[in-house]
Amino acid sequence: MDDIIVKTITRLIVPFIQVYGIFVILHGHISPGGGFSGGAVLGSSMILFTLSFGLPMASRKIPHKVTSILETSGILWYIIIGLAGIYLGGKFLVNKEAGFFMGQAGELISAGIIPLLTLGIGIKVASTMITLFHTIIEED
Amino acid sequence: MEFIKAIAEHINYVASVALFVIGLYTVLTHSNLLKKVIGINIMETSIFLFFVSIGYVHDGSAPIINLGGGRVLYINPLPSALILTGIVVAVSITAYSLSLIIKLYEEYGTMDIDEIMKLRGEGKNG
Amino acid sequence: MGSQHFPVYILLSLLATAVIIPIINSESFGKVKALIIATLSIALGLSVRTLQEVYKNGGYTYNFGNWNEKIGVQLVVDEFSAFMGLFIVALSFLIVIYSLKDIEHEIKPQQFTGFYTLVFILLFSMLGMTYTNDLFNMYVFMEILSITSCSIISIKRKKENYMASLRYLILNTMGSLSVLLGIALLYMVSGQLNMTQIYLTISKIWNLYPTNILVAVGFILTGLGIKAAVFPLHVWLPDAHSTAPTPSSALLSSIVVKVYIFSAYKILFKVLGQTIVVGLGIPTYITYFAAIGMIMGSIFAIGQKDIKRMLAYSSVAQIGYIFLGLGLATVEGLSASLFHIISHGLMKSALFLSAGSIIYYKEKRDLRDLDGIGYEMPITMTVFTIAAFGMIGIPGISGFMSKLYLSFAVLGANKPIYLAIILISSFLNAVYYLPIVISAFLKESKNRRNIMAIERLPKLMLVPMVIIAVAVVAIGFYPQIIMTLVEKAVPTFLL
Repeated sequence: MDDIIVKTITRLIVPFIQVYGIFVILHGHISPGGGFSGGAVLGSSMILFTLSFGLPMASRKIPHKVTSILETSGILWYIIIGLAGIYLGGKFLVNKEAGFFMGQAGELISAGIIPLLTLGIGIKVASTMITLFHTIIEED
Repeated sequence: MEFIKAIAEHINYVASVALFVIGLYTVLTHSNLLKKVIGINIMETSIFLFFVSIGYVHDGSAPIINLGGGRVLYINPLPSALILTGIVVAVSITAYSLSLIIKLYEEYGTMDIDEIMKLRGEGKNG
Repeated sequence: MGSQHFPVYILLSLLATAVIIPIINSESFGKVKALIIATLSIALGLSVRTLQEVYKNGGYTYNFGNWNEKIGVQLVVDEFSAFMGLFIVALSFLIVIYSLKDIEHEIKPQQFTGFYTLVFILLFSMLGMTYTNDLFNMYVFMEILSITSCSIISIKRKKENYMASLRYLILNTMGSLSVLLGIALLYMVSGQLNMTQIYLTISKIWNLYPTNILVAVGFILTGLGIKAAVFPLHVWLPDAHSTAPTPSSALLSSIVVKVYIFSAYKILFKVLGQTIVVGLGIPTYITYFAAIGMIMGSIFAIGQKDIKRMLAYSSVAQIGYIFLGLGLATVEGLSASLFHIISHGLMKSALFLSAGSIIYYKEKRDLRDLDGIGYEMPITMTVFTIAAFGMIGIPGISGFMSKLYLSFAVLGANKPIYLAIILISSFLNAVYYLPIVISAFLKESKNRRNIMAIERLPKLMLVPMVIIAVAVVAIGFYPQIIMTLVEKAVPTFLL
């Protein structure tokens, strides 16, 4: 896919898609969307990049090793946040009772552990989408 | 008249049952593996439609906290949240079955289950 | 009160191990092995402690994040789920130890880490399904379980494996969708997803919506029936279980199928309750399918030439026994069926592991090539013989005790016709298991040179098989060990 128009447009548009994905992830607790939708947007930006620049270029930008470590760390992050609830004297994934900062409803920094969990889910979903796509097109 | 009215009021349930049956028919009758996967996706969609319809409240708005105050009628958010999980599961199953079909195509050179069965039968005899 | 978190710790340690394995450097398989054994030992220890705590302090529920059970996810840790969790962890521990050696023979070295990731996610989802008290959570775990159980078949990159696992996946997905539709119908009637809450709601209003509930249960049981391979829905099982790598076959046949039966117990007796289930006449139909399966599974098994395929068809027949006990809907029937879950799990894993050892050592899977193999592999064939005698129902082995309990339950429920079916099925089991034993020990192999070879299997493969065989015999002589635990577990379903 050696097309100058596609490459230029991709180069222009990928940062905006990624910023939008990060926006959706970070505002997961106060607006529609969240980890899964934002992560899917973030992952699809990389898929667009792979489609227009080819796999070798894309794996130089984000190697297979990095995506698999990101996947693992997404889940481990979720588990650690959940265990923090037990450590602070509640149950697994406990939020308000463990004394996390709740803030004011509607503000960006609020709702205790929910933004942190959303972040973990976003990383996990984005890296999984990239890994899946790269693995499927690698094999032929 | 009553009957037509009843159907019109529950059109989403009727549609979901129709989609379920269409999907099941596709899975059972088509010998092309890709079409079987499409049939499964149609069945999944029908059930998602059914589940979301249960939570629908007439004239309800999206369940986002209303900071301006005042009572607003919300739809039931639980089925929608569950179906989000269901969609994730459906996507992963589709991805997995498609990758299996790619592998089968590489091995046998066809995506038709009848042909694959014929090839396997010949392999056993020869 | 740290002990209430133990089930969560078990689930999380399995999940964490599953995701850590792929990022360990793939050349250092020794580290992976150490991690696997450490995690499983921790899980085993925590399961034992959970069971002790439950017997001491009684069962309890665990709400995730302290959410109310009407909106949150809830685990229930009672005599049943703690006991079955222990059974799953202990048996899979033995199978995983066996697999550490055997898997080198079955799949490519670069896929080892992938295989163990899948096995740990498989264990995670099975324990989740056993502990959960939430219908939708059950569905999610079920989907994880179906994807991973298909993957541990297709990981052996052969043509037959791809076909078997695609067929398994398509049927499994249709089963899951059918379960989801049933859950949606139950949610429509009750407005709840928590099993206890649905029970409380439905027991008041079931007279108003008998058809809705019947349709919902029909969909759920059909879906679970596909996944648990009840007779007319078993078509995926022989291919899937016979082509898979041996450790996968053992896991799938002795544990995975049983987990779906636990869900069926939960749906029938926890969500709906005995009154409604018997009032709607559901158990009678279950016994019909079970009885047909007991006969037909054995008849299909007689015609098989491949040893693993024969064992797979035998599973279909044995699942019929379990569903027969379930379909009686009495305390005796349920305890017989739970007992048979344990004893069949042990016997079938012993059979699959010893069959796998024969394939590992001799590279032969045809039943006609097994003449005189008892002298070349004495320990393996002794394990095989013990388990095969258990399947037939020779006294002194756990299979006999489960058949005895089931016969008493059938007589207690005043349905003597099923006693005849149990006897016919045992006879048919003898028809296909005895010839293997006879040809292994009494026939002479054409090209055997030495008189008595010493077993040359790796120790890592022998020890788990011998432990399982000893357990099978011990339960056969002292069935009270398991029966007392089972009798404590049954009252969580029936009173």
